[in-house]
Amino acid sequence: AAMRSRAEVDATLQTAKLNPAELLPAVHCLSFGPQAGGGECCLLQLEPGLCAELEAGRSLVIRGEKDEHAVLCSKDKTYDMKIADTSNMLLFVPGCKTPEELNADSTSCTIIHSQIAGFSNNYWELRRCRPKLKKLRKLLMEDPYEGPDSQKDQTSTFSKYTTEDLLSLIQASEEEILHQLQVIDACKIEGYWRILDFDYEVKLLNHVTQLIDSESWPLSKVPLCTCLEELGSLEPREMIEHILLSYGRKYVDDGEVFFEMREDKICRAIAQMLLQNAVKFNLSEFEEVWQQSVPEGMTTRLDQLQGLALVDKSSRPETIFLLKVEDLPEDNQERFNSLFGIREKWTEVDITPYIQDLCAEKQTVGALLTKYARSSMLNGVKVYNSRRPIS
Amino acid sequence: SGGAGALAQWVLVELQGEVEPRQSRGLAGSLLGDLHYTCEGVPVLIVGHHILYGKVVQLEKPFAVLVKRGGAPQPSPAGSHGHYTVTALIKTKLLFKTRPKPIITHVPKKV
Repeated sequence: AAMRSRAEVDATLQTAKLNPAELLPAVHCLSFGPQAGGGECCLLQLEPGLCAELEAGRSLVIRGEKDEHAVLCSKDKTYDMKIADTSNMLLFVPGCKTPEELNADSTSCTIIHSQIAGFSNNYWELRRCRPKLKKLRKLLMEDPYEGPDSQKDQTSTFSKYTTEDLLSLIQASEEEILHQLQVIDACKIEGYWRILDFDYEVKLLNHVTQLIDSESWPLSKVPLCTCLEELGSLEPREMIEHILLSYGRKYVDDGEVFFEMREDKICRAIAQMLLQNAVKFNLSEFEEVWQQSVPEGMTTRLDQLQGLALVDKSSRPETIFLLKVEDLPEDNQERFNSLFGIREKWTEVDITPYIQDLCAEKQTVGALLTKYARSSMLNGVKVYNSRRPIS
Repeated sequence: SGGAGALAQWVLVELQGEVEPRQSRGLAGSLLGDLHYTCEGVPVLIVGHHILYGKVVQLEKPFAVLVKRGGAPQPSPAGSHGHYTVTALIKTKLLFKTRPKPIITHVPKKV
């Protein structure tokens, strides 16, 4: 289209009966650019902080497979994406100046020919969400590491995942993914992230606890060097160090590396080892065997098993069974459905470890219970059950 | 992703209703109208036979303009969403909500 001239602009002003003296001298003549109708441009509404990140040159990534809802990830946060419609038309105009910018510029009667790059009547809205990390564990559990002697690794046809692979498959930010890898005690073996097969993990742990016992080391001061020396012939050194990092707190004393063993985590692992061999256990029998099975000097407590096992106080005798929170659904409604399918009525104390991870940034367990459950009194105790009939 | 170098700052123009091409050849290349500002900074848009008065709004939540690039095919287990590039940021909008004042071009002369 021909570009408008000053004369044409002035003529239009005259027809419109606008007084040029009341207007700034510069005018934008807006036309539609060649790509305008193409629909290749879209708008993304930015949550606080994201604008600054982009201006600092950092990336935002949209992640999701075909069967997943798209999420947007910054370096350390994850957001759900949703289309918001508006009844108005939104035009995006490059090079369009505001009155402040024009005044600052103090140009004379210039015509600024601006091309509208695109237009839309909707935009992407973001809402901060929990990173979708269940898939991470699922991927790594496809092929747990069973140790160097395992035949499996040599002939394995399963996918193994590098950090890059995980970044492209998991709907979470890089920091959230790396943090979760640490939480689940994953380790990098030959460049791939692996989770240890539980039996192998217990085997490694037993090497360490037996050594602690035979050396009579205090549980709070286990020397790394000696462990590597004594156990290096049995298992790879990286695995020995990994198990110490997983089950202990590393510190340096006088230039030497030590570990303060984590009593709760060790007791918990031994409980899991015992419980996974049966559907359920007589509670008092279990507690006896469990205490006998943990290293000398450690004390077992039922609260060490939150999110791992559940006590059934209604059965006679009382029983305990394995119920791992990481095996339950990730979606809020599905999680509650699953929990109410396992047990009809829950006390807040019992259910909290199984819904804690669902809490959004400032959300409480109480708020979740209000939303997804119905409360009632049972024998003077407040209990929660499903809002809907369970089929 | 954000690219190297400063991101361009664009402006959003928000109009009521739909934009339709006057001619059948489509929108690309056609004129929308003239955008003026009064000395007080009020945006005035002349579109066809209408005058629209608006206001300059600083957006509480800025927008990023995403341009879709065809996703390059990748062999490894990669996400299948196309790649988007952030082309510009929008922190300001010109909001035209007032009813357009029609421009009357032919005033019958008084006899």
